[in-house]
Amino acid sequence: MTAEMIPRALIMPRTHETTESNKTGSWRFLRPRYENKTSPCSAACPAGEDIAMIEMLAGRGLFKEAWETILLENPLPGTCGRVCFHPCEGVCNRKDFDASVAVHDVERFLADVAARNDLKPVLEKLPRRPHRVAVVGSGPAGLSAAWFLGLLGYGCDVYEALPEAGGVLRWGIPEYRLPSPVLNVEIARIESGGARILRGRPVTMESLDGLRKDYSAVFLGCGLSRGAPLRISGEVPDAVTDGLVFLRNVRGGQPPPCDGLSAVIGGGNTAVDIARTVVRLGGKAAILYRRRREDMPAFQDEVSMALEEGVELHQLLAPEAIRPLGRRYGLVLKRMRVEGRDRDGRGRVVPTGETTEMEVERVFTATGAEAAQPWHRPPSGRGSGISLSHCVIVSEDGANPLVYGGDPVNETKNVTQAIASGKQAAMALDTFFQEGMEAVEARLAECRVGNGPALSMEIYMGGPRRLRSSHVVQPGEINTDYFRFGARMTQPRLLVEERIDSFDEIDLRVSAGTSIREAERCFNCGLCNQCDNCYVFCPDVAVRRGRDMNDRRIDYDYCKGCGLCAAECPRNAVTLEKEDAP
Amino acid sequence: MQPDGRSREWMCSGHVGCAGCGAAVAMRFFLKAMGEKTILVVPACCWSVIAGPYPQSALKVPVIHAAFETGGATASGVRAALDMRGDTETTVVTWAGDGGTFDIGFQALSGAVERNENFIYVCYDNEAYMNTGIQRSSSTPYGAWTTTTPGRDWKKMRKKNIVEALVAHRIPYAATASIAYPEDLIRKAEKARSMKGSRFLHIFASCPTGWRIPSEMSVKIARMAVQTNIFPLYEVEDGVRYTINYRPKEYLVREYFRLQGRFRHLKEEDLDQIQGMVDEDWRLLLRKAGGGA
Ligand SMILES: Cc1ncc(C[n+]2csc(CCOP(=O)(O)OP(=O)(O)O)c2C)c(N)n1
Ligand code: SF4
Ligand SMILES: [Mg+2]
Repeated sequence: MTAEMIPRALIMPRTHETTESNKTGSWRFLRPRYENKTSPCSAACPAGEDIAMIEMLAGRGLFKEAWETILLENPLPGTCGRVCFHPCEGVCNRKDFDASVAVHDVERFLADVAARNDLKPVLEKLPRRPHRVAVVGSGPAGLSAAWFLGLLGYGCDVYEALPEAGGVLRWGIPEYRLPSPVLNVEIARIESGGARILRGRPVTMESLDGLRKDYSAVFLGCGLSRGAPLRISGEVPDAVTDGLVFLRNVRGGQPPPCDGLSAVIGGGNTAVDIARTVVRLGGKAAILYRRRREDMPAFQDEVSMALEEGVELHQLLAPEAIRPLGRRYGLVLKRMRVEGRDRDGRGRVVPTGETTEMEVERVFTATGAEAAQPWHRPPSGRGSGISLSHCVIVSEDGANPLVYGGDPVNETKNVTQAIASGKQAAMALDTFFQEGMEAVEARLAECRVGNGPALSMEIYMGGPRRLRSSHVVQPGEINTDYFRFGARMTQPRLLVEERIDSFDEIDLRVSAGTSIREAERCFNCGLCNQCDNCYVFCPDVAVRRGRDMNDRRIDYDYCKGCGLCAAECPRNAVTLEKEDAP
Repeated sequence: MQPDGRSREWMCSGHVGCAGCGAAVAMRFFLKAMGEKTILVVPACCWSVIAGPYPQSALKVPVIHAAFETGGATASGVRAALDMRGDTETTVVTWAGDGGTFDIGFQALSGAVERNENFIYVCYDNEAYMNTGIQRSSSTPYGAWTTTTPGRDWKKMRKKNIVEALVAHRIPYAATASIAYPEDLIRKAEKARSMKGSRFLHIFASCPTGWRIPSEMSVKIARMAVQTNIFPLYEVEDGVRYTINYRPKEYLVREYFRLQGRFRHLKEEDLDQIQGMVDEDWRLLLRKAGGGA
């Protein structure tokens, strides 16, 4: 090599631009997109509560916000946290992973925190409207209608025949399950939300006509307050007491004597409530049910606790007659046996032909309830008006609408369905006032949670929940690699000995720590909780975050559509779709 | 999930790695731990391409493209040059594929770490020569199809245990990491950065193209490799102190193999045999880590 051949300066190629001029988004044939979806629990909740969001907030210790999120869909969280049959937990996607989230325990905790700290909810309300609505009955349906009409800008007068509000919640559910202070707090909040409750103001069929003239609409939530009779021989008032009347007297502070053995006929929660109340008043109780334990509509947990408390359960026995036996009564019972299945899947029972007799002090009925007055039910031949899933609206020509709701209308009769009824009525009336009756059904259909029967007030009022997809997240759509097994909380309870001689609430207070841990168990199905996995794993740095790190967007200039964000999202908040053909 | 203060990006969009490329994810995480004062030496591998053709670069730190077999030697030279300039701040990193590490670059690597050169050597492992079209390497696992182990001639040799080979050099730090465990990976990279002497990181980086898996599965597969003990997460200090970072719940290897096209031909008895090998390797590791401790 000669000297001339050695280069003066070493020439070194140095890069001077980034790869950002390559728009690799053109490679993409699948397109990810952020899309919050519907959790199965929220679709199963008759009140359509935004459970995945509630648990997310509660898990972060944002108790007030979580509680307000409930109140937007359900004005009675303290009540429902205690007495709702929580269908949400039955469909929880966590069920097959370890155990469902204790949604009702968290709900109860949030309501109790709010009550203890005297929290005032800050909820968005629509502007005031000139119309006023009369609500007849202050049970769960009436309270719910009044609350939601309040959110929608309407003033309400709630007519309650009895001296205290609450309906079945106050008179039909024993203290040990639903203490009156809890109920009082809920009712006070509904009143401060704008509803006026007129106590001791019964409405009759005649005065109803007046209400329809004085108010723009009337909501009838009169409930089913009369127990169904047994319709057997010897059913005389001395021997047989309507179980609902009994519960009402006990809660009203006038417990009748309960010594000796009381028979309770029925298999629902009311039967169990009566039997356990009898035990607390010093008597003995036997529940007689025509089907089997597993067929009882009562909550199994309540049945177990009743048995622990000494209540007897006799299955496959149906009452046939009652005859006086000195100061007592002989209750003649038909033995039943299971033969085939009923349409609802429960075993069908038929008499075996044998009978047996039981000597009892008295008999309580709990075999279903009826409307106290025939006009509490919607007329059968419907004129003009519409019939919705949870209410019936009647509006003869020119007359102000009359809305029937609650148990007399609902197919499934319980507190949360009654709340759903009040909510549906409020939405329907608002739509009727603003857009006319023709618009009601379509407007309500837009507010369905996951295309199910539950309606969302947040969606109705145009809140962010309306942007969610109605797709209900399935267990297989959860990336369970991101969740660790965690035992479901156990609700601490009074001991049996403490239970049977007082009406103290059985379920004890749960700590904030336990409740947070429980709420954190929630997968938050379908809801982005800012875990950042999509951002973290993107091989193309194509997930951009805003300043507060909580708003993300996909940069489609570079996203190659690999799908990692969707696959690594633990909770299906990213949707991957075929790219539209150019 | 996102570790604090790691929002700065050192890798650019628009790189030409395949959709779902685990090697790209690995680099992104690694540089979050390393930061600006880093020089990368990249011997021939997919990353030579991903880093961009002249005049582009996908990385915001200097990259020296080096010959395939020279990862260890080039880094040694770069380190020496920096030392001569008095730059003790900058970390020199070799970023090489498994072919460039387990096979052709092995002697340069062994020589460099034997001299305890002050650098970090990262092998991102996609278990074959991917850049040139999926040829088997000594990192390719037993049972895998590649273009050079096609059909019935699937690979019948075990994967070389590269970490143990490095540990045998008694270097200050050797560790495994996986793209499915970002926090563990970043922690190990930071730890390596804070040390002096030869440090070795073996990063499991799935390759959708070469493994015949859907692109969205690449992290899941990497996670399963850890969960099944196929790729345990552990670190070794000074060639003797072992720490196992993750104790899996004994998932079966079967699921991992079933999900990948490169293993489709394997029969039940092959999978049983592989399970036996994985169990054996795991027991060996436990023994080294102080018997199950
Ligand atoms: C000496 C030499 N032989 C062969 C090649 C061709 N070559 C370039 S990259 C490559 C494969 C690299 O495989 P690996 O190190 O595993 O990295 P990967 O591409 O898989 O990321 C080969 C064979 C080369 N560049 N130099
Ligand atoms: S071939 Fe594999 S390692 Fe290489 S760029 Fe594609 S996915 Fe990444
Ligand atoms: Mg390779």
